Amino acid sequence: MALIEIAGLEVVFAARGEAVRAVRGIDLSVEPRESFGLVGESGSGKSTVLRALCGLAPVSAGRALIDGRAPPALGRIGSRDRAFARRVQMVFQDPYGSLHPRHTVDRVLSEPLLVHGLGGRRERDRRVEAALQDVGLDASFRFRYPHQLSGGQRQRVAVARALMLEPSVLLLDEPTSALDASVQAEVLNLLSRLREERGLTFLMVSHDFAVIDHMCDRLAVMQQGRIVEVLDREALARGAVREDYTRALLAASQAHAPVQ
Amino acid sequence: MSSATASWRTWLTSRSPRSRRQAWLGQAYLGWLSLLRNPVALLGLAIVLLLVLTAIFAPLLATHDPLAQDLAKRLSPPGTAGHWLGTDEFGRDLWSRMVYGARVTLYIVLLVVATAPVFGLAIGTAAGYFGGLVDVVLMRLTDIFLAFPRLILALAFVAALGPGIGNAVLAIALTAWPPYARVARAETLTVRNSDYIAAEQLQGFGAWRIVTGHVMPLCLSSVIVRITLDMAGIILVAAGLGFLGLGAQPPLPEWGLMISSGRKYLFDQWWVATVPGLAIFVVSLGFNLLGDGLRDVLDPRSASR
Repeated sequence: MALIEIAGLEVVFAARGEAVRAVRGIDLSVEPRESFGLVGESGSGKSTVLRALCGLAPVSAGRALIDGRAPPALGRIGSRDRAFARRVQMVFQDPYGSLHPRHTVDRVLSEPLLVHGLGGRRERDRRVEAALQDVGLDASFRFRYPHQLSGGQRQRVAVARALMLEPSVLLLDEPTSALDASVQAEVLNLLSRLREERGLTFLMVSHDFAVIDHMCDRLAVMQQGRIVEVLDREALARGAVREDYTRALLAASQAHAPVQ
Repeated sequence: MSSATASWRTWLTSRSPRSRRQAWLGQAYLGWLSLLRNPVALLGLAIVLLLVLTAIFAPLLATHDPLAQDLAKRLSPPGTAGHWLGTDEFGRDLWSRMVYGARVTLYIVLLVVATAPVFGLAIGTAAGYFGGLVDVVLMRLTDIFLAFPRLILALAFVAALGPGIGNAVLAIALTAWPPYARVARAETLTVRNSDYIAAEQLQGFGAWRIVTGHVMPLCLSSVIVRITLDMAGIILVAAGLGFLGLGAQPPLPEWGLMISSGRKYLFDQWWVATVPGLAIFVVSLGFNLLGDGLRDVLDPRSASR
């Protein structure tokens, strides 16, 4: 059975009496250890799919299952689901908004361990140091505040946080789009390396074909809340694209690709 | 000595602190530095410190027993030998009464600070974080309390519970919390949809941990600023209750009560009401100035960090 299974997923937001259908019935399945990409322009509903999968957006119809389990409804009283947290984690788009401004790196990384009762004080210290090392930050970063870090360093901390509970699935919401090009490559390489080392399953959202091509085995193209086309990497490389929309997106991204 | 201070400074401002405490102290030090750059706030801080020190060392500073009457010297003007601020209608030394009055004022201030903002913060963050029905119920409750005129509600409480300084404080606290709930809710709403709160929810943190450990610290700076700005009002309401005879009871040297008793002599013996009035004025001003300065230091939006 597939690790991530989405069937007939619809997400409807109620905004001032008006219903906004962000996701309009999509089907998708991702196998264990696969790296799957969702591509589309902004507003196509790709990030909403990720958020629905982990409980940050409402599942209005259909199913969004990870390992056969529905996401908890987050932010309500008594909605915490620790087992889910240890299976699925997310890396957010904006590294400037995804770290608590008043907490040190140390607290950001050690609090999940504390909440889940993993290890004593010394064991937590050890794991925080190991996690920093894993994402290529030395121990001097441990007691810094987010405002003392660059965008790339923050995103490394965010990746380290997502991996603290050793999840098997990582949801990546445009993890590099807020970073400049050289840092972008570093973070992508870091993610690829960690996936290989830990056997992670990635579901990655991006508007950038180059990023998806670099990271993913398969991809789905989304437009206005629907999946237009599912491709694998070879098909993309051969340009074996059926839909005009995909072709247009591809052409647009190639026009901006750096000259090699 | 100077090399020791220099090494302390390097330790505090280190870019890569080696422990939680060093990181926290470093942040506190930076906040202190920005407070130092604001002379008006420092003046406010000095006044508040003066109030605290006066309250602590009242027995040393007072020249007379604040309750000792000397009818032979009643209503002596300022500058009288032995009573440099004069005496009141019972011949009690005004300077000593003012000094001891600092204790009463500080007692009121501390009790209100320990209750109203804490309660308001809890209500406001809970309403903002959970939203929905919880929000509606809690905020309508807040609105109801907010709709009462503060002094009138305090009066009603005191009338029901009986006059006295403890009941006055309770009444003030009961009427002072709604603005804190409002402020805390507004701050919570700006924070609750942020990615870091989402990340914490995803990590399986409970609502209690997120609200107390992650949302409240972010609301705290606005609440602290609000407290210092409110303090003047709280002191004035306490004085007002004292003035109306519903707060502190005679012969307790409370500033509002002192003004009330001086009212009868205002035209001929102006100093009886003026001395405690000046004390209220200076302390209120001090809290206001400190509040303005703290807003600059604590408000994350105005600061560069």
